[in-house]
Amino acid sequence: MLAYILRRLVISIFVLFLATILVFLLVAESGDPLALLRANPKIPHRVILARENLLHLNDPLYERYWIWFSHAIHGDFGNTVAGQAVRPQLVSHLLVTLRMVILATLISIVLALAVGVYAALRQGKVADHVATVTNFLFLAAPVFVVGLLLKEFVAIPINEHLNRIVFYTNGEQSPTLSGSFFSRLPDYAAHTALPTITLILVSYSSWAIYQRASILETLDSDHVRLARSKGISPRRVLMRHVFRNALIPVTTVIALDFAAILGGALITEIVFGWQGLGIWFLNGVNGLDINITLAYLLVTATFVILFNLLADIIYAFLDPRIRYD
Amino acid sequence: MRPSRRLVGVVAAIGLAAITLAACSSNNSSSSTTSSGGSTTGSVRTGGTLTMGLDENLAGFNINTSAASEYVLQEILDQVWPQPFIVNAALKPVLNTQLITSATSGGSPQAVTYVINPKAVWQDGTPITADDFIYNWQAQSGNSTYTDIGGATYDAASSSGYNQIATVTGSNPTGGAACDPGSAADRNVGLCPNGRTVTVKYTTPFADWQSLFGNLVPAHIARTVGWNTGFAGPAQTISGSWYEIQSYTANQSVVLVRNPSYWGTPGKLDKIVFQFFSDDTQEVPALQNNEVQLINPATVNTAITQSAAQVPNTTKVTVPGLEFEHLDFNEADPYLAKLPVRQAIAYGTNRQEIISHTVGEVASGIVPLGNRMFVASQPQYVNDGSQYDTVNPSKAESLLSGLGFKKASDGYFQPNYGPQSGQDLTFTIQSTSGNSTRAQTEQLFQAQMKAIGIKINIQNYDANTFFGTNLPNGTYQIAEFAWVSTPFPSGNQSIYCSYTSSSCGQNWLHYANPAEDKLLAAGSSATSASQETTDFNQADKLLWNDMATLPLYQKPQYFAWSNKYGNVIPNASTTGVPWNANLWGLKAS
Repeated sequence: MLAYILRRLVISIFVLFLATILVFLLVAESGDPLALLRANPKIPHRVILARENLLHLNDPLYERYWIWFSHAIHGDFGNTVAGQAVRPQLVSHLLVTLRMVILATLISIVLALAVGVYAALRQGKVADHVATVTNFLFLAAPVFVVGLLLKEFVAIPINEHLNRIVFYTNGEQSPTLSGSFFSRLPDYAAHTALPTITLILVSYSSWAIYQRASILETLDSDHVRLARSKGISPRRVLMRHVFRNALIPVTTVIALDFAAILGGALITEIVFGWQGLGIWFLNGVNGLDINITLAYLLVTATFVILFNLLADIIYAFLDPRIRYD
Repeated sequence: MRPSRRLVGVVAAIGLAAITLAACSSNNSSSSTTSSGGSTTGSVRTGGTLTMGLDENLAGFNINTSAASEYVLQEILDQVWPQPFIVNAALKPVLNTQLITSATSGGSPQAVTYVINPKAVWQDGTPITADDFIYNWQAQSGNSTYTDIGGATYDAASSSGYNQIATVTGSNPTGGAACDPGSAADRNVGLCPNGRTVTVKYTTPFADWQSLFGNLVPAHIARTVGWNTGFAGPAQTISGSWYEIQSYTANQSVVLVRNPSYWGTPGKLDKIVFQFFSDDTQEVPALQNNEVQLINPATVNTAITQSAAQVPNTTKVTVPGLEFEHLDFNEADPYLAKLPVRQAIAYGTNRQEIISHTVGEVASGIVPLGNRMFVASQPQYVNDGSQYDTVNPSKAESLLSGLGFKKASDGYFQPNYGPQSGQDLTFTIQSTSGNSTRAQTEQLFQAQMKAIGIKINIQNYDANTFFGTNLPNGTYQIAEFAWVSTPFPSGNQSIYCSYTSSSCGQNWLHYANPAEDKLLAAGSSATSASQETTDFNQADKLLWNDMATLPLYQKPQYFAWSNKYGNVIPNASTTGVPWNANLWGLKAS
């Protein structure tokens, strides 16, 4: 197992290295980061020259790549077009994203497993139909629609009814917030509630559908029938023989989805004014900000590779038949 | 002036790219004054907090740098950095007498004398003196003699006006004290940096002198932390005005509180909070939820206005802005180089129909714009293009026929020369992609041109390509975009003076007319407001005669705020609505 993990790690690092070359070439050739400055004749030419030097825009491409890469592996992602360091921005936006997605993902997993199992065990009954319709409804609903509906028909009416703000619709915290962490906690919660609920609703539904299908498939398998015929209690059959096996495909989906969400729940961030990784990346692309784009792509590529690896490891724990030699 | 891209930022405060008008008072005359720094609409009480939604994040706090020159930052700094002149809601620059007790311009060569209020100090107690003016001039002069800390080139958003200054000197230190000799390190030896009277001498007349020294950067801080990147947060961005920055949370908010060192009438509100939004449309629910009490979204569309209309106890106002959409004709094209072709397009363009189907849906009373130098809400405005107010297809077709173009059986004219000889006369119009209003305009224009026998193709590009490549390189035929003006018209010079001159960098349309050059130059160096207005209006008339561009309409700005607050007065200039935020307050019950 350890050898497998190490081997996968080496391969992952190599893949990541190749990805940096590809990503750098694509981003570096995507346009002139100083195009807008050049279009403004009021900006003195010497200002633009200084900015070109700062971003190494006049160096050959391979030199630019090496400068960027050799710094990036030490955590230095260079400067933005505006001359600010990229690293603090990356950390700041990543923390925002983590705050939003970790809680949402954990709750989504629990909810998806519960709903999926419950619906599968009551296949064809009213509860199953209600759960399935609800799941597909949230799966089909665009994220921004869910977010806006929550604002319009949940948050604002509740706030108006209580005559105080229980749910905030924009931002990560109140601008004038002060005091200890625990005294700030209610404000954080009031800001986090809506985006978290939105992410839960759009995430759990697909996982619950997977979970239901997986449970049904496992329930119909030979080893489960054998277990039942041996007189093992239904609860024990469910927990030991059905649930564990049914988790395998769902684990893959959740791991990969989580890696993607860590890259930024862009639409949720926009709707609720959260400055996560997704919106940071979008602004970087729109502004042709090379170093922001590169830093984002490097980080998200790392997430995807890491969570792929993690999914494989969890596989092995869930299914002893899976061995990596 | 500059093309409209609120995301890119705007010309700082009182319009460094630009331009003057009422500003250029007659020789030795004082400027118009205000004692309060703003206007009022009613009584308000002291105390309280107002939160305003902003639609961009900040790239720094020194708005005078190219990197941080943003509209939203100007709205924040209106109340933080000293503003010798404030552009009021009537788009007129008025002297901030709490900072500058008098400002006079006159003499030959032109000299401007500012008398600083002897009580004026920065937040840290350092007096505001001639040294601040000296430093701000040097940093924005474009002169390589002056460098930032570490010998770095000063990153100035504009050198306009500052590069016409010969000297900035101080005199009359407070209390009759002797002049400080200055220091070589500070480059103010012999300039009396501690003087409270500042004399600015110009090498050539600069009509827009009132546009300079807005957002005065504290020299004593800048010399320590650096002009280019030193103003990263509240610690460096100290106040010399009504409010100081209490906190800044990147991408989230800026909180202003009263500046305890302010020497004049203090602001009414305890706090002014600016909260950032990623999406304009989310400002309305936040207004409804009382998370913000004032919004001025960059995008004005029916989705915003209709949802805001449902928010009770708020005032909603749509005002004509200083931004106007227009059609740009590239005269490098062999057909658009012909005046009758451009005139035919103008006669065939039903501007009122375009307005009705676009901005007319969110604001009433918008009419075709008849001037490029002044918008209709400015007193200097004259409709120089009234002959194009009514669409005239027959006139358009006769102009094309007059060139020898023949109308083919498909209804399109076919030129008798050039690359399209014997083919349908075809132009491509381009603009920024993702802008529904511009897309609608292009489609209407396409249909209108078809009616007069001109085929129009539509090809849009992302903003960076459009503004950064296509326009500057002249790789377009007809372009549709907006210019953002300031109350100062001299910024128009670089757009319409002959493209053959290196100083006319925004003349992307390959227009050239020596008579136009003379009128623009005369307006920019005029010594009276009336003369400046006359010169620029004559210049505009000539542009109509030459049909250099076709102005479409003035873009509206939208404001909505809670009725609990008084003295909120929309301001369509780049100063923004917080121009008088020192007077905002909760209405007295």
